[in-house]
Amino acid sequence: MSPPLPSRRGVLGGIGALAVAGSFGLAAANRSASALASDADVRVRYWNLFSGGDGANMIAMLDAFRAANPRVGVLDSTLQWGNPYYTKLAMAASGNRAPDLAVMHLGRIPGFAPGQLLDPWDVRLLAEYGVREADFNPVLWKRAVVDGKLYGLPLDIHAQLCFYRRDVCEKAGLLGADGDLAKVTSPEDWFKALKAAKKAVEGAVHTIGIKADEPNFSWWFFLSFYTQLGGTCLSADGREVTLDTDKATQVLEFLRQHLTDGYSTAIGIADGESFVNGSAFTWEGNWSVPVFSGAKLDYGATPLPPVFGEPATHTESHCFVLPHQSQRGGATNEGAHQLAAYVVKNATAWARGGHIPAYLPTLDDKKYVSLEPQSEYVSAMDHMAVEPSAWFAGSTGLLAQRIGPVIASSNVGSAKPDATARRMKDVLEKLVAMKNPMEGRSAAEGGSAA
Amino acid sequence: MSAVDTAVAPAAVRTVPAAGTDALRARLTRRLQHGGWFVAPFLTLFALFVLFPIGRGLWLSFTDANISGTGERFVGLDNYREALDSPLLWDSLGHSAYFTLLVVPCIVVLAFLLAMLAHHIERAKWLWRLCFFAPFLLPSTVAGNLWQWLFNPGTGMINHVFGLDTPWLTQKSTALLAVVITTLWWTVGFSFLLFLAALQNIPRHLYEAAELDGAGAWQRMVHITLPMLRNITGLVITLQILASLQVFDQAVVMQDFGPGPEESTRTFVQYTLEEGFTAYRVGYASAISIIFFVLIAAVALGRMWLLRKREEGVR
Repeated sequence: MSPPLPSRRGVLGGIGALAVAGSFGLAAANRSASALASDADVRVRYWNLFSGGDGANMIAMLDAFRAANPRVGVLDSTLQWGNPYYTKLAMAASGNRAPDLAVMHLGRIPGFAPGQLLDPWDVRLLAEYGVREADFNPVLWKRAVVDGKLYGLPLDIHAQLCFYRRDVCEKAGLLGADGDLAKVTSPEDWFKALKAAKKAVEGAVHTIGIKADEPNFSWWFFLSFYTQLGGTCLSADGREVTLDTDKATQVLEFLRQHLTDGYSTAIGIADGESFVNGSAFTWEGNWSVPVFSGAKLDYGATPLPPVFGEPATHTESHCFVLPHQSQRGGATNEGAHQLAAYVVKNATAWARGGHIPAYLPTLDDKKYVSLEPQSEYVSAMDHMAVEPSAWFAGSTGLLAQRIGPVIASSNVGSAKPDATARRMKDVLEKLVAMKNPMEGRSAAEGGSAA
Repeated sequence: MSAVDTAVAPAAVRTVPAAGTDALRARLTRRLQHGGWFVAPFLTLFALFVLFPIGRGLWLSFTDANISGTGERFVGLDNYREALDSPLLWDSLGHSAYFTLLVVPCIVVLAFLLAMLAHHIERAKWLWRLCFFAPFLLPSTVAGNLWQWLFNPGTGMINHVFGLDTPWLTQKSTALLAVVITTLWWTVGFSFLLFLAALQNIPRHLYEAAELDGAGAWQRMVHITLPMLRNITGLVITLQILASLQVFDQAVVMQDFGPGPEESTRTFVQYTLEEGFTAYRVGYASAISIIFFVLIAAVALGRMWLLRKREEGVR
């Protein structure tokens, strides 16, 4: 038997009820949207790529800004990190639907068509909100300037670190008198330390996690040690490949030895978990600080060991940018400057996520100095190993995407270090000869090498 | 009205030489007047969302256009020349082809076996059908993430159940295989459904007659079931080849948007995406899309040609 059909009146009644309910819903949605801007004179649309601990920190800082500046409404959107983010940002800017303010990696600025997809900062306006060039690490500020104009306002430096467990390292006799990791200055000493640590590690975890198979990390670690050897990838003007294959081979052999000597594995995916479960070391980005602190580990963190002499560790930076708008200006633009200046100046809260603040006065803030292990690795900002300045470089850019897997293949043992070094040179040469799609000139022709 | 038109149409076309061009024009006009309005919405959408993008893509493939859509210049065949010279293109094409070679035979056999099982089982038929078809309803991101967990070397179920220590997704020799296994589980349901429907369409009396003639189960399978499923098998193979060549989402999700260990899971579609949206080289990405389009069309046409030839042979 089929169920009785609803009457015509019943159907009409139902549709009417739905319409009424729907209009309530719409009204509610409208109210919440207008509430955002109700007390605010301007509304700043802000895109960022921070999730996890960073995301929570950023939201707390935005709330503080809102409380202090009720006249400026902030409509923030958190988008997925990496290439999807940069694609959306580029397309929004080219389609003239860009947000008023956004975050990006400093290394991506040369490739992001300054002047076309990005608008320059009004330095005078920034100064009015208390942010001046003198307050920043000069290396960072210089990297954000293209053709004499500032395109990125540096927020932080994030570095690759050597995390160590004090309990394990103490047992292995690797701690100095101050309770921190004793300095190691040669590959031989480093592997001696690992040998001692291996004996002290308990359970079925490896001695050190180096993310040997992960393309991005592989590239970052390579760059750190290669810079320690004084190596460069491109000439200063970005037109020529200067990769020294002998030095590169030396670094690749050093990285690979972690696996061949049995201190690490080809499976990098569990490195962080392994550290929590008792590995002596892990090489990770400083954004892992909230994870390890949350796990209540007794641990410390230093820049990557200076085994090849000069200390150097890979760093990138988050910075604020103004995505291109054809009508940029007025109160909204001013609000964007105000918001960015506020976050940059109040970077102590931001540093809780592990990042080193770019705004130098923060480093003297007592609250910052007392942060552990943050204060232990501040020196990373004095020895930055950064990607070459080119349109294809920068976090998760084309260079990392092409060269990272090549390095990883040597790390895990399926390609020989010297052959890998030659392949790396080949990758760089192809990229240097490749036309920058945003301006039609290759790096070899002088395109976008800041 | 239109039914009458349709009914007379073949006759009208056949009488064209006798009736002359004026009569033909009159008939065409009449048919357009009556049917034109019905097909206009479709034609508009088709032109707007299919023809125009294809034409625009073809034009872009001869330019150095970037993602911002400004200042595109005509570069002739440069993009095509570069593409055919690029080892990345051939590698990624190789991965897509290898994936197709692995997936298609497995899907056909597996879907057929599952359909036979679901067709012959007597109890809880609906449960079997649901079990075999349900994974196909999942979005690719869900399927990819699910199997990423299952393949996790430390905590995943696969290594645990089979007592293995295999880093499935992080070593070159198994990464693409893991994507193949995921795809089989995720997509076999569709082909299974096609086979099941075809099995149910085979007239029972054929089997009854064969049984009376003393044919055993094996003979009934070889002489009735398989020949009656020939057309549907051809369809499943064609659809699977086309779908497998375009493999992208599950591979990308399982490798967290990377190219996989030693670039072993970068497929052709992923390469196109990287060039278009990471390198912002829209012109070049359009050129490789066109190359891929031609390749896929060639495979589909080749398959159709083979099928027709075989049918003519049967006749």
